[in-house]
Amino acid sequence: MKKALKINPKDNTAIALEDIEAGDSVKLASKSGPVGEIKAQQAIPFGHKLALANIGQGEKVLKYGEVIGLATQPINKGDYVHVHNVESVLLPPPKEVKQWNF
Amino acid sequence: MEFLGYERPDGSVGVRNHVAVISSGRCANEMAATIADSVNGAMPVLHTHPCVHLKEDNERALRTLAGLGSNPNVAAAIVVGVGCENPTPYQIGEEIAKSKKPVEVLTIMESKGFQNLMDRGLELVHEMISQACQMQRKPFPLSYLTLGVKCGGSSAVSGVASNSAGGQVFDRLIAEGGTAIFSETAEVIGATHLLAKRAVSKEVAMRLEEAVERMEARIKATGVDIRGSQPTRGNIEGGLTTIEEKSLGALAKTGTAPLQGVLEYAEKPQSKGLFFMDGSAMTSELIAGEAAAGIQIHIYSTGGGLTSSFRCPAGWGGEIPILPQIAVVSSPSKPRDSQEKEFFDIYADTIVEGKETVDQVAERLFEEVIAVACGKLTKREMRSGYREPIVMYSTGPIL
Repeated sequence: MKKALKINPKDNTAIALEDIEAGDSVKLASKSGPVGEIKAQQAIPFGHKLALANIGQGEKVLKYGEVIGLATQPINKGDYVHVHNVESVLLPPPKEVKQWNF
Repeated sequence: MEFLGYERPDGSVGVRNHVAVISSGRCANEMAATIADSVNGAMPVLHTHPCVHLKEDNERALRTLAGLGSNPNVAAAIVVGVGCENPTPYQIGEEIAKSKKPVEVLTIMESKGFQNLMDRGLELVHEMISQACQMQRKPFPLSYLTLGVKCGGSSAVSGVASNSAGGQVFDRLIAEGGTAIFSETAEVIGATHLLAKRAVSKEVAMRLEEAVERMEARIKATGVDIRGSQPTRGNIEGGLTTIEEKSLGALAKTGTAPLQGVLEYAEKPQSKGLFFMDGSAMTSELIAGEAAAGIQIHIYSTGGGLTSSFRCPAGWGGEIPILPQIAVVSSPSKPRDSQEKEFFDIYADTIVEGKETVDQVAERLFEEVIAVACGKLTKREMRSGYREPIVMYSTGPIL
């Protein structure tokens, strides 16, 4: 089973601890131990983020227990979370960033 | 909890007992190195500050070199110079003398020649080492410890591995009444509000904002807007989506304690708890500033990748010779057996591999901090040979 890390109990994202493929079952670790499982809906590269809940457009994306940005489109549980569907509150990046492929 | 340390006349406690031979300017590095290398137990403190800086940088260099000499890890110090440096060796010596430890100043100008200086220098170092080696470690509460941190070679997992474990160690030390210092002003750009929320007063929050604005203004003066480039393409490829996320990962190493104050570069904290120091992210500059502020142990929180296979630790780690540095690595390195087992003190890659939790690694790191405080040598301290001169933070032009 694949692994991801939920850093703070408040977070609605987790960090992929290895490359995850769409359909993979992912075991969630926290700073003090395992906290359940989730099914990945999309591929998530190592070090990138996975949604732990449905996040509506304009809703907060949380990591480290803090807001890291707002969803620019609806994000489903198990989806890949990155520049294509999240934007900084403080500093929106240049438009071309959204077209980057990883 | 307690550690075993060396009591100093000013009430501070060292975790090392060095006799420092401090060069007052880059012209004096060879003299300081030659004297220190001739005697077991002497530690050369060399640096790159020339005499062609302006007032603000010279004052900062004075504060830094005096701070290094006054650091609790130093039992006694000799300042060696030509005599015409800026700051002068006498100024550095006077400042160190305020810590009431033995300090001597030697200059070529006063010694009437190079050989006289070397002879007298060796004589003084012998006397100082004879005294220092008779000092005994005694138990002290952890509240006498001040830790510093710097993150380097950041990877996609440094925020969740070494920085998170380091942050927990900061929290634990502060809960024991100790002190911790972090820096890297540029890393706070774009996330000042997150750190300002933790400030104990409006004044502290304002000083933080001022420090960040100063740094940003200096960057803008070169015609570059750093905000437009953050996070970098490399960061985004690594999985960081926004500047908030990048800064939070960097701030993870500071733990969760309230921010007690904002220090100038190389300024000593006047109370216990967590402090931010205004300064650059250049490793040597940053650690020198923290050492001058009195930290006794430094945690070097690294990501991995290139850093973990780079075999020249004096260069990338910013060696400050009076300071034990605990190197922590986050990313699993594939050929780990052939990797730098002799180099890193704490492997936090177990978090990424799912073999250990952050709490467990933080516990190991905390135990290592206490062991190093009691005298356990870090991997870097065991190394001998080439030493990298210290670089001090400067903001003005060099003439």
